[in-house]
Amino acid sequence: MVLNNLSLDHEEIRKNYPENPLEFFKDKKLCLFKACLEKYFPGVRYGIQDLLEVLDLDVITCANQSCCSGTFFQRNLITRPQFAAINERNLNEINHMADILLVSCNGCYNSLLRGRDFLRQSNIKKKTQAVLNNLKKNSSGENYPGKYELLKTPRLRIIHDLDFLHLIKDEVVNTLKFNLKGLKVAVHYGCHYLNLERDKRTEYGLKDSFFKDKTKLEDFINLFGGVPVDYQERESCCGWGASQIVLHEKDALKITFQKLKSVQNVGADLILTPCPTCLYTLGKPEHRENILKFYGEFIDVPVIHLNELIAILRGCEEERCVNIRKKDPRVHKIYEIITLD
Amino acid sequence: MDEYSDSDWNWDFYEGLVEDVNENKNIIQCIQCGKCVGECPAARISNFNIRKIITKVLRGDKSVLKEPDIWYCFLCERCKRVCPKEGINIPLLVINLRNESFRKSYGPKYNDLTKYVQMAEKFLTNGTVLSEPLDGGLPPERMEELNEICNHARIKYVFKASPESKNYDKIHRIIEKRKKLQKEKIKRK
Repeated sequence: MVLNNLSLDHEEIRKNYPENPLEFFKDKKLCLFKACLEKYFPGVRYGIQDLLEVLDLDVITCANQSCCSGTFFQRNLITRPQFAAINERNLNEINHMADILLVSCNGCYNSLLRGRDFLRQSNIKKKTQAVLNNLKKNSSGENYPGKYELLKTPRLRIIHDLDFLHLIKDEVVNTLKFNLKGLKVAVHYGCHYLNLERDKRTEYGLKDSFFKDKTKLEDFINLFGGVPVDYQERESCCGWGASQIVLHEKDALKITFQKLKSVQNVGADLILTPCPTCLYTLGKPEHRENILKFYGEFIDVPVIHLNELIAILRGCEEERCVNIRKKDPRVHKIYEIITLD
Repeated sequence: MDEYSDSDWNWDFYEGLVEDVNENKNIIQCIQCGKCVGECPAARISNFNIRKIITKVLRGDKSVLKEPDIWYCFLCERCKRVCPKEGINIPLLVINLRNESFRKSYGPKYNDLTKYVQMAEKFLTNGTVLSEPLDGGLPPERMEELNEICNHARIKYVFKASPESKNYDKIHRIIEKRKKLQKEKIKRK
């Protein structure tokens, strides 16, 4: 049994649908993976959900999906088979509802692919199956017994929101009412997008794409009428560092500070990221205040997730989008800069 | 001067450490170039030095398990990206080192673990790491599944051992409460 890592091959879609890659998704059911931190940033979810609905795509979320559990795996609080079983449980649930899984968080994306990768190791695969078997025996949910198996030939394919949006970028641009008016924008990709090994080495050898600069966010900034600005700490971590900011706040905020300072030094008006965890770390007001306390400088550059920015540029008037910007001073500030004449 | 001699190579520790040698099969080929350290965020803020850690592992020096620095790794995977060799997966090696350190009761610090109590509670009762998630969390009747998967996991002991959880039944009480609330909600509708 060969267990693939479920990544959607976007280069293949680009090749088969050169005119309009959106066509590939038209007859597919798309599911949005629910990232825990979307609680703080609902615009990350609703921004893309509204866009997909406008583009007439079939989009859902899965009520029975749990957290990816990456946080606990990274701190050794669950084992590899338990991590892989949580992952497989989520994938089982989503697989029978959808064809494509869109992921807005680098952490969740890494977890989903990593959990699947672990199943390539025979000992982990056996233990994961044992965990799932136990689940069948001991759980009393209405769909038991016999619900979860290791997925042998799942139809589901996974894609990061950034890669998906970049695939359909021409269609995205067609929905926009506003532009970035030449604003200088710094990008922060986040480690688990930037450093993903799965792009570097595969069973089939090295992939060129890993060694090429990742520039999809810069492409978006140009398309949106902004100016991407390079800065020294472009590829450094946001400071989250697998919860280091929770455990060693002062030390981790030093990494955050160095990044923000580097952004400020090049005169960027805002920071654009494709990850809600990085958004939380870089943008949380308490973090900015603590940076002032620990390192003597307050840095005011706002940060926004790509999905939120697209909602603003679309001038989305759906109640939930309007509520998001009204309730969040961070987003409202960027909204005012972009929309006021 | 190197504190080890050529006769100090001892791969027993390394072989016992990695669950599947394939994922780190080339770590014995580490050329000690230090690129990983140069790009490492943890090295900027602590004494975490993965080059030295790898040397200790390959020399069979188990004192590395007691070093608090192994808990500073950001798991950002930058080292993996810049490493000139293939088949070296430093983040997963660090996770294995931490596992072994846990098993031997060396680390992490108790205070660090207590910071996970609330997240553990939310995960085992809501299915997410935050309270009041955007969509209300995993339905309570499905929570048993997560708890069953996490049986005997450290996440449960972290929660159980915490002062915030007077007894372990708290998880089940919270889930039962959520079930009750859900039933009432359905009745009202």
